[in-house]
Amino acid sequence: MAQLDNIIHQPVRLQIMSSLVSLDKNEQVNFTYLRKLLKLTDGNLGAHLTKLEEAGYIRIKKTFVARKPRTFIKATGKGRDAFAEHTAALKEIIRTEKERTK
Amino acid sequence: MNVSQEDARKSLSTVQDVIVQTHRAIASAYANPLLILWGVLCIIAFTVAHFYLAHAFYIFMVMNVVGGIGTAVICWVFHSKAPIQDASCPRIGWRIALLWILLYVYVTMWLFLLAPFNGLQCNAFISTAAMFAFVVIGLWFGSYFMVLLGLAVTVATLVGFYLLTDYYCLWMALTCGGATLGTGLYIRLRWR
Repeated sequence: MAQLDNIIHQPVRLQIMSSLVSLDKNEQVNFTYLRKLLKLTDGNLGAHLTKLEEAGYIRIKKTFVARKPRTFIKATGKGRDAFAEHTAALKEIIRTEKERTK
Repeated sequence: MNVSQEDARKSLSTVQDVIVQTHRAIASAYANPLLILWGVLCIIAFTVAHFYLAHAFYIFMVMNVVGGIGTAVICWVFHSKAPIQDASCPRIGWRIALLWILLYVYVTMWLFLLAPFNGLQCNAFISTAAMFAFVVIGLWFGSYFMVLLGLAVTVATLVGFYLLTDYYCLWMALTCGGATLGTGLYIRLRWR
């Protein structure tokens, strides 16, 4: 039976992981773009990214593009697996509740 | 952790919304400038070709060169501002660019080999050859949008060629150019 993940279940982190796992495995997303997409502040997004990075769910890479500093984030294999298990657990909850009410 | 059915439903709905937003944001960042460029070029080229059909070969060769340069400039500009980076992108990008250059050279060669032909045949040949490349690239990279666009323009070309011969170029300006420009504008205005 799939298990819920405490780290991913937090609403902002769930949105971050949803966005990252929807990309291909080779792709990484720009910090500024993610902040705009999820309508978050720099500090708020940074704090949640740190939590996810500590769990090994994402990888943060700082680099220079056209001489400007850029931060890119990508989901790791472990993060993708954890997200898949979390969403499977959510689906199980809905299914179980439906069967109980029948 | 206790999660109710309602919370689970809300969480899954959030996941779905973010995935759609992410895909749309990527499409609006990359696809719409290219679609708008090629849509405008197609409308201009087909409209000019309607009045100067005998020069269709040169009109479309110029359109392809301008479009190719424009595409390269857009890709170059957007690369530094790209919201998404793909490790395999530069390698694949060069291969796609090379494919279009090769197609341009081969289509030109085939046109010289097949001559004489009228402007209508030349136009339909270039359009369908370009759409063949669209379909192949789309199948290769799993982009159903490219496959559908390629097939739709091919069907529109055949309908115009066989059924609307007198208004073929205007028909193509409307269907090929109009649909491409319309898709680009729709993405730009609605998916931001």
